[in-house]
Amino acid sequence: MKKFLTGIAVAGMLFATQALANDPAELSDVEIAHVAYTADNLDIRYAHLALAKSKNPEIHKFAKTMIRDHEAVNEQALALLKKLGAEAKDNFLSQKLNRDGDAIIAKFSALSGAEFDRAYAENELAYHKAVNALVGEVFIPNIENPEVKALFEEGLKIFKAHEAHAEMMVKALK
Amino acid sequence: MTKNILRRDVLVGVAASAVTLAASNKTAAAKTPRTHDIVIKSFTFEPQSVTVQVGDTIRWTNEDLAPHTATASEAGWDTGELAKGQSATILVTHGMQTSYFCAFHPHMKGTIEVV
Repeated sequence: MKKFLTGIAVAGMLFATQALANDPAELSDVEIAHVAYTADNLDIRYAHLALAKSKNPEIHKFAKTMIRDHEAVNEQALALLKKLGAEAKDNFLSQKLNRDGDAIIAKFSALSGAEFDRAYAENELAYHKAVNALVGEVFIPNIENPEVKALFEEGLKIFKAHEAHAEMMVKALK
Repeated sequence: MTKNILRRDVLVGVAASAVTLAASNKTAAAKTPRTHDIVIKSFTFEPQSVTVQVGDTIRWTNEDLAPHTATASEAGWDTGELAKGQSATILVTHGMQTSYFCAFHPHMKGTIEVV
């Protein structure tokens, strides 16, 4: 059973402008897979921007970890979809994530030095918090395929570790 | 009666031999280098602390989807990147650094006690 109310609450935190017709709790497994793949790729894009712009070694280490871990998750997700003979399906949430991500990258491209580092770290913390809430409270309870669910549970452990790491980084940069 | 005594003596003898053999095996085991397994799972080293002797080997195996390392805190030794399912070993040496972490996820920490 889809958790409609939970979906609205979490989506409200992340995507306040969405109409109720676009409820993350109503997405199918292949649409959820597409959102996760999009979210992973977006964080990889943020990391590449950080590697290009920051001179802080800690930011570089963190960014490289984001690339390494999110690529590992994506690789597993693609392998699982292939095994299941399924294909990820684009949807309103993936599109919204990409639009928001493009805007953030455009904004961050204009920053430099410590200002960029702080903005990147704070965004990583906020982004992982929001995505973790969505994955933990909406996606995992609603995923129907047990193998897809297990992969998301594994992914959530990784993203929670990233959230904790980002929190440490934000504190260190203050 | 004699038969019983003899039987008892044989049993005691067998038991004593077993104890001697076990003690001898124990002595031999203490001298033989051991391999200590540490599993990396859910962003933790399990066990987090391991007691070893010089000459032993420590083997880390990553069961997480995310790649990890076991890296000495002062960069004295390093397993390098371990993808899911991969293992790496480090030989315990005199004076080796005993606190370590994951270079990719620095909140992951472990310790080695050399006795």
